[in-house]
Amino acid sequence: MLDRKLLRDLRRSAGLLAAIASIIAVGITCYVALTSSYRNLSEAKARYYRKCRMADFWIDVKKVPLAELSAVSSIPGVAEIQPRIQFSATVDLEENQEPITAMVISLPESRDTPLNDIVLRQGDYFTGRRAEEVIVSDSFARKHNLYPGQWVHVLLNNRRQRLFIVGTAISSEFVYMLGPGAILPDPEHFGVFYVRQRFAEEVFDFHGAANQIVGRLAPEVRDQPDPVLEQAEIVLEPYGVFHATPQRLQMSNQFLSSEIEGLGNIALIVPTVFLVVAALVLNVLMTRLARRQRTTIGTLKALGFTNWQVGSHFLKQGMSVGIIGGVAGCALGYLSSVGMTLVYQRFFEFPNLASGFYWQTHASGIAISILCSLAGSYLGARSVLRLGAAEAMRPEPPRRGGAIWLERFKRLWGMLSAPWRLALRTVIRHKLRSSAGMFAAAMGAGLLCTGFLMRQGQVFLIDFQFYKVARSDVDIVFHDELGRDALDEAARLPGVDWAEPQFGLACTFVNGPYRRKGGVTGLAPDARLTIPRDTKGRPIPMPASGLVLSRRLADILHAEPGDTITLEPIVGERRPAQATVAQVADSYLGVTAYADIHYLSRLMNEEFVTTGVQLALDGDPKHQAQLYRQLRDTPAVASVTARHDLIEQITDTLLKHQFIFIGLLITFSGVVFFGSIVNSSMVNLAERQREVATFLALGYDKWRIGNMFLRESLLINVTGALLGLPVGYGLMVVTAWSYRENDLIRFPVVPSAWIYLATLALALAFTFMAHAVVQWNIHRMNYLEALNVKE
Amino acid sequence: MSDNDGRQDNVLLRLEHVCRTFQMGDVSVEVLKDVSIDIAKGEFLSMVGPSGSGKTTLLNLIGGLDRPTSGTISYKGRELSNASPAELTRYRRDEVGFVFQFYNLVPNLTARENVMVAAEISSKPLDVDRVLGMVGLADRVDHFPSQLSGGEQQRVAVARAIAKNPELLLCDELTGALDFETGKRVLRLLVDLQAELGTSVVIITHNHALAQVTRRVIHLRSGRISEESINDSPMAPEEIVW
Repeated sequence: MLDRKLLRDLRRSAGLLAAIASIIAVGITCYVALTSSYRNLSEAKARYYRKCRMADFWIDVKKVPLAELSAVSSIPGVAEIQPRIQFSATVDLEENQEPITAMVISLPESRDTPLNDIVLRQGDYFTGRRAEEVIVSDSFARKHNLYPGQWVHVLLNNRRQRLFIVGTAISSEFVYMLGPGAILPDPEHFGVFYVRQRFAEEVFDFHGAANQIVGRLAPEVRDQPDPVLEQAEIVLEPYGVFHATPQRLQMSNQFLSSEIEGLGNIALIVPTVFLVVAALVLNVLMTRLARRQRTTIGTLKALGFTNWQVGSHFLKQGMSVGIIGGVAGCALGYLSSVGMTLVYQRFFEFPNLASGFYWQTHASGIAISILCSLAGSYLGARSVLRLGAAEAMRPEPPRRGGAIWLERFKRLWGMLSAPWRLALRTVIRHKLRSSAGMFAAAMGAGLLCTGFLMRQGQVFLIDFQFYKVARSDVDIVFHDELGRDALDEAARLPGVDWAEPQFGLACTFVNGPYRRKGGVTGLAPDARLTIPRDTKGRPIPMPASGLVLSRRLADILHAEPGDTITLEPIVGERRPAQATVAQVADSYLGVTAYADIHYLSRLMNEEFVTTGVQLALDGDPKHQAQLYRQLRDTPAVASVTARHDLIEQITDTLLKHQFIFIGLLITFSGVVFFGSIVNSSMVNLAERQREVATFLALGYDKWRIGNMFLRESLLINVTGALLGLPVGYGLMVVTAWSYRENDLIRFPVVPSAWIYLATLALALAFTFMAHAVVQWNIHRMNYLEALNVKE
Repeated sequence: MSDNDGRQDNVLLRLEHVCRTFQMGDVSVEVLKDVSIDIAKGEFLSMVGPSGSGKTTLLNLIGGLDRPTSGTISYKGRELSNASPAELTRYRRDEVGFVFQFYNLVPNLTARENVMVAAEISSKPLDVDRVLGMVGLADRVDHFPSQLSGGEQQRVAVARAIAKNPELLLCDELTGALDFETGKRVLRLLVDLQAELGTSVVIITHNHALAQVTRRVIHLRSGRISEESINDSPMAPEEIVW
């Protein structure tokens, strides 16, 4: 019989329970979507790395004879190694006027479980019929309509080579395929070309030698690769070690792992916010339901029902909300994870990144939602459930009246009309309900604010980096260090208005016990195409001598202005040089250092060194086409990057996806606002039916009565939304702080008035939308019944 | 001129052949059957009947809270029976005051504020403090309903009703929630106010004793007017006993 009552009670409160269930559903959707995506990515990564026998380390050297590699194999902790040849090259495609960069990597002649193996998408492995066979990275091939059986021209080692495509492939080494200087995959301008080992030896004059060693570590040292790598660097020292990179710092793996880690973190935080709000709101509703059924509870107890039987009746109501919300959330969460996986497939190349159904995730999602709803129900109903039978059957004693604290400000209070006084007293007297409403509004507004701040930060960074710091039209990087002639020649290229040299010195910074691999960028004294700026946007003046370090780099090195540090160049003569730290500047770009190009050249015992040139063009498309053609045919050029293309790519992909993210954020925030306001207002309305009916009898029209409830709703939600603004700002500060160890960027927190205004405007909009439900209920209320004046 | 003739010229509210039927699922319940009443300006009358006689439904119709199923209701010559909800709201706002059995005060407003909410929407309100003084609550104006006795709350309800300066005051079981002595005191208040303000007052009650204070008594039974009587010498509230 109690279950029959339960079903009727559920039907009667269906609207309110649905509002709460929707908040739970949003929380569980986030949990399931994020957790499932986390598992999709991490399991796909693990499978892929296993399948391709992903290396644990990469060591780049100038040139090492293969015969000397046994010394590396015998280092304790090294399980196996594989030498290979790797160089960058320029691809010559007729339909592309811009030069295209490629990384050329040698693979063994026969496929015998190599390290960093490839996964063929089309065609075959090397057949051996032609020396110049090539396997092209699949995304690049698709972008340029390249297929097995076609020929492609590539500038290798200053020679134009014709390569025959035998297949296309992907690799675990390039799940996130980044070209030089890129921050997003760009298959239009960068690809990987796999050539036969012998062909690479021939073309690059590397007979019996290699310039890269990839290897696997023994399981017991896999988590601590640094000591082994240091050993390997010592062994390979005579052959010019450029980099020793453990897997965790490998570029593709870094991006992938960082994304997975991020998912894991927000999978805990975001759903928690929604579930706490749902529990609070359910608490308010159950308090009301229990109080309304106080006499029934007393009667049931008098009849002989136990506390547990009566209590579980109410818990079942809450549990049904939890089950409905949990099931809906699981279904939506699964669909969302499918959508997220589709998005990830755009950025990460896996052989099979599929969306899985993880029953443990769904089961835990439903369990969490049931627990949350049980908690809310129990806390809401317990005060009534604890009453004895006799006391419960007595009508509830009237609430204590009395002035609120605001009434002490008599002058201000006197200025308020009766409806405003009523609204303020109602809000302040119902502490739990008002607090729950404010909390929900604060969380909703906080989420919105954080999302807007995140977008603002990204827009700011793009603007900062690509419009304030980097102002060139085209950047050229050379294969080798060149002299002043290269600059003069670049300045004479078609369409070039202005050319500036850059000297990129890859080195290890040393300050006592502190070391960091990085690079110094040498700039011309009158540079206008790269203008380093601090976090306030002020240009950092380049001293005639000394280094300008970013704050992050200075912190790592424990260096201050005036200190002398050592630069150990990775390329060239590799003679260490002492340099003074002239200035430390706050910067959004993580680990950077600048110097005057002449000073830097002198440090390297050269008169003038340039490793690249930045160009400002005259804007004539014909000249630009000529420029690209000429650069394409220039063997000395390693890569060409057009700033405009980079900006477009970033804007297209990153910011477009941001809109989807913001859209979801607004929807979720709306659900929180809507669910909380509707629940609270409807409980309020139900408790004050007679009051509403009395106002109608007095001659108030329904809209005017609705405005009284709207005042209360606005007081709670505007206050909550205002509190949510610092919450959102705080969340963003925490997010930015989590980037403090990031070597690539420092995430800016860029508050602006539009963010706060937009958040408040949306909060107001949601409040009015939710109020429409309340107004509708006022219009259809049976006020005769409420007045107790029905026959 | 007879009483009837005088009342005809002085008619404030007229009900003619009014019926009210409620639909309860498949069952139709005819609560009022062919009721015709005139209420004159400044008249003090009571409507008496047992529970289920239709008196509350009649009150709702007179007060503009409900509309008849058939028949006409007119107020000062204007038909109310087909009035729109907005017109009925205006009627209630400007012409009618209600006093309910359980006071129906707003718990979160003080006595003065409860009266203010009525005065604020009236086009011709009486002064709030004056009205509270008239009901004997001048020193309790800042108390909340929970801080007032039942009698005091009912007096606030009366003050709220008359603050709008209505032409017609409807009192539903005015003393129903009060003890005997308190009820008589509230009744005395009502009698004095009616005499002072000249408002038409209708008392709805099941208690025949209360009807003795009014000059005209309409008896209701089973949805019809069974009898209409005149008290030539209405009793003082202090004299009645129930």
